[in-house]
Order: sequence, then C-alpha cells, then structure tokens
Amino acid sequence: MIGKYNWFKRRKYTGWGFTPATWQGWLYIVVLVIPIILLTGDGHMTQTRIILLIIWSIIFVVDFIDIMIHLPKDERDRIHEAISERNALWVIVIVLAVGVAYQAAQGAIKGIVQVDPVIIVAILAGLFAKIVSNIYLDKKN
Amino acid sequence: MMETKITYYRNKLGITQEELAKVVGVTRQTIISLEQNKYNPSLILASKITQALKQKHIEDVFIFNSK
Repeated sequence: MIGKYNWFKRRKYTGWGFTPATWQGWLYIVVLVIPIILLTGDGHMTQTRIILLIIWSIIFVVDFIDIMIHLPKDERDRIHEAISERNALWVIVIVLAVGVAYQAAQGAIKGIVQVDPVIIVAILAGLFAKIVSNIYLDKKN
Repeated sequence: MMETKITYYRNKLGITQEELAKVVGVTRQTIISLEQNKYNPSLILASKITQALKQKHIEDVFIFNSK
C-alpha cells in the first residue's frame, strides 16, 4: 500500500475519515490531489484521461480503506468511536425514516406511491450490515 | 468505578505518561483518563499497565470501587 497508517490520525470532531498527523500524511494528500488536478484541470476529458482517473481513484480508494482499517487506535478510542458511530447512525436512520414517512404522506395525498427507493435500500442495507455484524461478533466471542 | 494508583507508581519509576502509553500501546490521553479514574480499562490493558509499573498484582494498581 502507498500510505502508511501512522501518518494519519482518526478524524474525531470534524466528520469521518482521517486527517494527516505527520508531514508524510500531508505529502500523501498532495500526491493524491495533483494527478486529479492535472487530469481534470483544463476541462478536456479524453477517454484516456477518464480511464487514468478511474484507475487513480480505485488505487486511492483501496489505499484509503487500508489506512482506515489500520489507523492506530487503542481500546478507549475504539469504544468512543463505536458509541459515536452508533449515535450518528441512529440520527441518520431517524432522519431517513422521517423522510420516507414524509414522502409516503405526500404521495398518499396525490394518490401515488412516491417514496425514494434509494432511502429504502439504504435502510435495508444498514439492517443487513447490522445482522451480519452481530452474527460475526456472536461467533467470534 | 475503578480507582488507580498509576500516577503514584509512575512517579515512583520516574516515567512520563507518554512513555507509559508507548510501553502499553495506548495514547497518552488514555493514560490521563485512567489516572483521573474516568476510564475503566480492559483486563488486558490493566495487566499490561501493572507489568509496566513493575507491580505483581492488578489490584496493587487498580482498586475496584463497587459504590
């Protein structure tokens, strides 16, 4: 992998992901961004450039996931992260559920089915992830 | 809640929070929380800290307060 996980620290108070903790981390971000600017900066997107951009993006998405998994965290960090992620998830689920209810009500008034399927899929995908996680964790310990 | 004697034994050994944190593989913030009795560690971490502070028994460093 390209990025080393000890170049970064967990983004705690400003969202998800990671933030550079060392100069190497900042350099990594610059190295990530420069090719994207070079490929898209002048606005002329050729097929070759699109392919290069996709390849470059895939490389860094894989690297990003690897860094996220291996970010240095101790047990207290993990507990805090789990609780804050759970709270964030509950807020997201509540907002999505209210959104579905609102859309359904609007649709009912108009006499049509008007619910965004993406929201339903997102909630069901979350439910699936929770079931799989619980089965895995029950088997693990 | 757990009470600890980490500060006492750490000062006795003359090591910093940062050094202790590095030895047991946690952040300095975790050591601070432990010293302030704000965080209950896992048995593994309590054991590592006990060893790092050159004590024999976990209960020499961590005192369980049932109240």
